[in-house]
Amino acid sequence: MKTKLTGLAILILVIIAAVVYVFFSRKNQTAEISGYLGGEKIGLLEDEEVQDILKGRYHLVIDYSKAGSLDMITADFTDRDYLFPSNQTALELYEEIHGDPVQSQIIFNTPIVLYTRSAVAKALAEQGIVREEQGIYYVDMTGLTEEIEAGSSWSDLGLPQLYGHVSVGTTDPTKSNSGNMFAALLANTLCQAVADEQNIGNILPRLQNIFRNLGYMESSSADLFDQFLKTGMGAKPLIAGYESQILEFAAENPETWEQISGDIVMLYPTPTLWSSHVYIALNEAGTAGINALLDEDIQRLAWEKHGFRTGVYDVPADTERFGVSGLAPEITQISPMPDAATMERIIQALS
Amino acid sequence: MKIRKKILPLLLLLVTALLAACGPNSRPAETGEASASGKDAVLGSSREVLRIVSGSENSQLEPLLQEFANQEHIQIEMTYKGSLDIMRLLGDEEIPYDAVWPASSLWISTGDTKHRIKHAKSVSVTPVVFGIRQSLAEELGFTDREVSVDDLLQAIQSGKLRFCMTSATQSNSGASAYIGFLYALSGNPEVITSEDLADDQLRTDMRNLLSGVDRSSGSSDWLKDMFVAGDYNAMVNYECLIIQANQELEEQGKETLYAVYPYDGLSLADSPLGWVDNGDEKQEELFLKLQEYLLSEDIQNQIQRTGRRTGYTGISEENRDVFRKDWGLQPDRVLSPIRMPAADVLFECLDLYQTDFKKPSLNVYCLDYSGSMSGEGNEQLVAAMEQLLIQENARKNFLQASSEEINILIPFNDRVLAFYTAKGSGQELEKLYDTIKQLRTGGGTDMYAAAERGLKMLEQYDLSQYTPAIIILSDGVSSGSFSDFEEAYQELGQEVPIFSIMFGDADETQLEELAACTNARVFDGRENLTEAFRSVKGYN
Repeated sequence: MKTKLTGLAILILVIIAAVVYVFFSRKNQTAEISGYLGGEKIGLLEDEEVQDILKGRYHLVIDYSKAGSLDMITADFTDRDYLFPSNQTALELYEEIHGDPVQSQIIFNTPIVLYTRSAVAKALAEQGIVREEQGIYYVDMTGLTEEIEAGSSWSDLGLPQLYGHVSVGTTDPTKSNSGNMFAALLANTLCQAVADEQNIGNILPRLQNIFRNLGYMESSSADLFDQFLKTGMGAKPLIAGYESQILEFAAENPETWEQISGDIVMLYPTPTLWSSHVYIALNEAGTAGINALLDEDIQRLAWEKHGFRTGVYDVPADTERFGVSGLAPEITQISPMPDAATMERIIQALS
Repeated sequence: MKIRKKILPLLLLLVTALLAACGPNSRPAETGEASASGKDAVLGSSREVLRIVSGSENSQLEPLLQEFANQEHIQIEMTYKGSLDIMRLLGDEEIPYDAVWPASSLWISTGDTKHRIKHAKSVSVTPVVFGIRQSLAEELGFTDREVSVDDLLQAIQSGKLRFCMTSATQSNSGASAYIGFLYALSGNPEVITSEDLADDQLRTDMRNLLSGVDRSSGSSDWLKDMFVAGDYNAMVNYECLIIQANQELEEQGKETLYAVYPYDGLSLADSPLGWVDNGDEKQEELFLKLQEYLLSEDIQNQIQRTGRRTGYTGISEENRDVFRKDWGLQPDRVLSPIRMPAADVLFECLDLYQTDFKKPSLNVYCLDYSGSMSGEGNEQLVAAMEQLLIQENARKNFLQASSEEINILIPFNDRVLAFYTAKGSGQELEKLYDTIKQLRTGGGTDMYAAAERGLKMLEQYDLSQYTPAIIILSDGVSSGSFSDFEEAYQELGQEVPIFSIMFGDADETQLEELAACTNARVFDGRENLTEAFRSVKGYN
């Protein structure tokens, strides 16, 4: 009998608590939105400081599923509120298939870079493919592409400890943004101009050949970068990625970074491309994300902790904080992305 | 928008309170029970459960998981499957686990078409290598120079080297080794293409090569166990499992293995642990806590002591004694792997392995038709065999038969009822299924008589041309005599594994006795018979 009474007491208390809670939460609702996110931005959305600002100032929780920038455009997003790919082409593609989105906005940018190890950078420098200027390393895409197309082996370049042919590891260009943008960069290089519908036809077979030789490709740039760091020089001698990736890693793992920084080299392609992280709201609820992500403090955190270059936070100022040598204060040599129609032809050719 | 989510826990509390109010005296929390189910290990005991489906190589890390379970007062349930089985699982509507932990991220990327895997991070890295008995490795001249896949092939083709490997269509280590072979046999192209695979010479060479496989298995860890218990010369396995095998072999006073890293056929297993996004935030938090624990400095160091490569800076000074140079281990080697082919070509490779390249299987199914199997038991048996014998179903799990495969069916109760043989992958095989459906149950159980008959039937074949196995399904305590069977087994004079599937009231000790005597293993079919049949077929 006693248990029954205790139980009833608990029951009544719980009911009161529930009523109070519902009443309270109605007044101060936290909305949860969900969408597809390029893997390189997970660190930002998992950042507790960012989550606190979202919750505190905007009463917003942004949930996500990881998806490639192009995959997400054609994925089933019926129950989603936003897409957050990593380039403008994804937006153009979206507009082509689904029409104008409810709202869209570039949240931040980061340039495409190559990552490698010091031994490889040195070997490439000896070939005249990599050059150093004021501590910053630049890679000549034409020279590098020539080596790739010639089928040179790593040992030809003086790296007998590496098996196989010279190549740049990328994510799948038909699924993920960094691979897709690297394909655009290669297309520009092969065309010796910005690739467009006139000149693309001539170089497509060469582009196809380069990518065919890569075999299996990761579908997420975050996974590729993680493997670059973890599986060592042998597995991933040279990969394409975003500048933000190394900055975020250094900011999040300062001790580890100190141990390995001497061996990791970031190479800026000349010219390179901007990866513009553009937020696409799929419905009214989704638009809340734009406003919140443009918050001054979130933009600051996006640079300081996650390495994304933002408009609000003036970039050239503060490259020291990361302890990443070879971080360019300004990205001056930028080439435009080929237009959506040309990118579509590239994607089709590589599918 | 999911505001409802916040109220759900409260509703649950309400229901709990109601139950407490109306029910009898509240009972203590249930303790974790391993019991009959798909899970292979239960670590810790709590109602808060984290279910992980993992490659079997991670069973070595159970003590570390146990520690975490105790520390957090949770229960971790480990289910071990081949990495390719995990990949196939990711395509299912329902994934009945909270986390996946295959051997390589390749299988998450190719399997996770619905984008449900989140937070995947590599826990450790280990290469797939050849472990060859020290004296044989020396004799082959592999101990003091760089070895190519072609060197290994020549040793295999000359009959000097026979080896064990896991099935390429079930397990990552087998698949990795097999892809390495394909590269070498196609003259090391930049990447394997469909055109390479169509080459007749390649096909002949690959069949010859795989005819050197002594024993196969569906999982890497079990291959290691089988190797240590048996009498073989070499195996393809993870570096970390070669190290563990050596520790066990040394303890038993047996000859250890020398690790050979084929420079043009190496692959890496990066052991990614990922969360299955089922929307449960509490589970997600728990998962992240586990991942953080496994990636913490101290635990990474302990994982490194199991022979896995962890961290960013190579093998630490204090763990160098694990990577013994006298065992051929090269802790400082730059691991430069081959390129995996694109997904469509990869699947073509796997298909060819199953239907054309691997040594044909010779399966003898001894199936229990005793009285106790009638009704539901028999229905489950029929449903399970449908998955193996009807090729359209088998293909989904890469278990389809090859044109040379032999399948023998021996239904039994207290005696052998009949026997049926089918060759190849066509009508004959599918007809066996009709036979199974029509047979009636009744009588007692004597699995030994059936196994003995199976052995007799194997005598008619040149077993060097096949991978033979006897597979027994039994649901009761068997009469008959183990020693009679043992005598017949000795007479055959060949190692044929006798796998068994435990069902109903089967006597586990009887089945284990058979498995131990024939270097095989027992599968638990009590929870899911179809799954058990699939697993056992994956071993052959």
